Amino acid sequence: MELITASAGSYPRIGTAPEKQRLRAEYARLDRGEISKEDFARVQDEVTKEVIEEQRRAGIELATDGQVRWYDQISHFARKLDGCEINGLLRLFDTNFYFRQPVIKGNVRWAAPIVVGEFKFAKKVSPIPIKPVVTGPYTLARHSIDKHYHDFSSLVADFVVAIGKEVNALAKAGAEVIQLDEPSILKNPQEFKIFESAVGEVSKNKGKARLALYTYFGDAAKLYDKLQSLPIDILGLDFSYSQKLAAVIEGMGSEKELGLGLVDGRNTRIENVKETAKVVAKILKKLDVDRVYLNPSCGLDEYLPREVAFEKLKNLVAIAKQVRAEMK
Amino acid sequence: MREKLESLGLDLPLLPTTTVGSFPKPREVMEARQKLLAGKLTKKDLRPLEEQATRFWIKTQEEIGIDVLVDGEMYRGDMATYFAENLDGFKISGLVRSYGNRYYRKPIISGKVKWRGPITVDWWKFAQSLTKKPVKGMLTGPYTMMDWSFNEYYPNRREACLDMARALHEEVKALADAGAKIIQVDEPALSARSEELDDFIIKALDIVTKGVGAYFITHSCYGAFEFIYPDMLKLPVDNFDLEMSNSELDLVEIFRRHPFTKDISFGVVDVHSHVIEDVETVKKRIKRALEVLKPEQLWVDPDCGLKTRTREEAIGKLRAMVGAAEEVRKSLSEK
Repeated sequence: MELITASAGSYPRIGTAPEKQRLRAEYARLDRGEISKEDFARVQDEVTKEVIEEQRRAGIELATDGQVRWYDQISHFARKLDGCEINGLLRLFDTNFYFRQPVIKGNVRWAAPIVVGEFKFAKKVSPIPIKPVVTGPYTLARHSIDKHYHDFSSLVADFVVAIGKEVNALAKAGAEVIQLDEPSILKNPQEFKIFESAVGEVSKNKGKARLALYTYFGDAAKLYDKLQSLPIDILGLDFSYSQKLAAVIEGMGSEKELGLGLVDGRNTRIENVKETAKVVAKILKKLDVDRVYLNPSCGLDEYLPREVAFEKLKNLVAIAKQVRAEMK
Repeated sequence: MREKLESLGLDLPLLPTTTVGSFPKPREVMEARQKLLAGKLTKKDLRPLEEQATRFWIKTQEEIGIDVLVDGEMYRGDMATYFAENLDGFKISGLVRSYGNRYYRKPIISGKVKWRGPITVDWWKFAQSLTKKPVKGMLTGPYTMMDWSFNEYYPNRREACLDMARALHEEVKALADAGAKIIQVDEPALSARSEELDDFIIKALDIVTKGVGAYFITHSCYGAFEFIYPDMLKLPVDNFDLEMSNSELDLVEIFRRHPFTKDISFGVVDVHSHVIEDVETVKKRIKRALEVLKPEQLWVDPDCGLKTRTREEAIGKLRAMVGAAEEVRKSLSEK
């Protein structure tokens, strides 16, 4: 069994040191009309290269582009879909991060690629494999104000078609793993039926890519067996909300490759290498799959300072090394 | 809770008007704070400017006719960081993104949280010395302090929150000893994880308030109250200060199903909008509240702190609020 160190989403785009604050300063200049959008896009390109390089330097084997260009996980997609307008700020789950809420004013339709260009750029400049991340249809619908459909499942259905097209385009662009983020299902387990069919439909578009469904910001222990039944290749789990999750996995095993979110992406405390490695090794012994990913519990941009994010990833790599040594 | 107010010697009219806490800082305070961050000024240099600004806001609140005053928080930056800087056990983090191009520094709990001495008491005394109207004691609550901090020390959120509560209890006692009769414990994070209400939030607020003879208010905003109402009524406070105008007043519907059993400070002006509400709009909001609440339960205030508005917008909104409260009060006494 192969243990792969991976990112789980975003990476902080600015740091505390003045030389790491370029993106923030240029963003302010863009707001004041002092630079063009093209100038700003070039800065975003450079920072993207920087954060990929930082992930590689930490020892990460499967990176993301850091989502440096995203305003937030929700509006980055809604902004580019027909039928969505962007509204005011709202708190994202129980975090201290705010996203812009989409208002649905017409039929939701995929008009053009959303993150495909970002993926292609990252793939071109990165020395290590890049995993594109797409926010899932259920989570997008759950975070929208519906002024058009007046029926939640119809709204989800159109988001499914739109996100399916994006997943398809990413697969065609050469993505080997596509991460589909669906944190909202953990807070709304009663809607699993709608969710299940949404993921099923999106999955039909994955082509040759492997689909990684990532859940976080909630306790996945209760839904674990249902999540196992989904037509996905990899299941990402956040351990920071759950005392029982490790035991549940050990008890039930896994049909899917797992993304173990055992490094808390929202706390500056650096995990103890030996203790965490023990938890990972104990889970791995119960699994019969080809690959397991060790990753943070969520993206890091909105929740950690850049310097800590880097330490977290380095520590995650150290944990993986310890696990490999123990498994021998 | 009118009896409690009376027993504390507080003679407040029906529908008392108040504000949530913060007012806009004048330019000279903002500039001085920048210089403080750049190391060009000391905290001592700031004090006279902050006092002058506090005087202005006390006088302004009196002129507008507000019943229960606040000091306006001229001396605070962020509501969590301010307390973190003044308690033992905290460090401050590097920059974290809050939205768009906005970044902030977040407190880190890196040791046992302890109260090392009064934090807000001097400012409360100063503000109260300027007016005969009651001034609220104000602090950020234990749950919000915990939720808005990184935790490198405690094994879990519960332990962090309960120790935080023990530290803040000392601050509450010090405020009450200084003479504060109304104390507001801000808990904007209250509905972050609904399952934690019964787990430890009630217990934490019980630790904070226990044995202190003051009228307690807890303020919360941006909440998903459908998840914690009516359970949150179990919190040991007298008055809930809730955002209403920005939530399209849907809480009124919730109160119709589950009657609200405590006092409430009902947010009637939107602090996120530049538009100054007219008296009629605010009156409608108050009357809507009175459909589900008794006049004796109801206080009137803005949704949240006004620090992000201009001075003129803040004053305009408060005038509309007081004008509307007076008119509704009058129509109630005529009945």
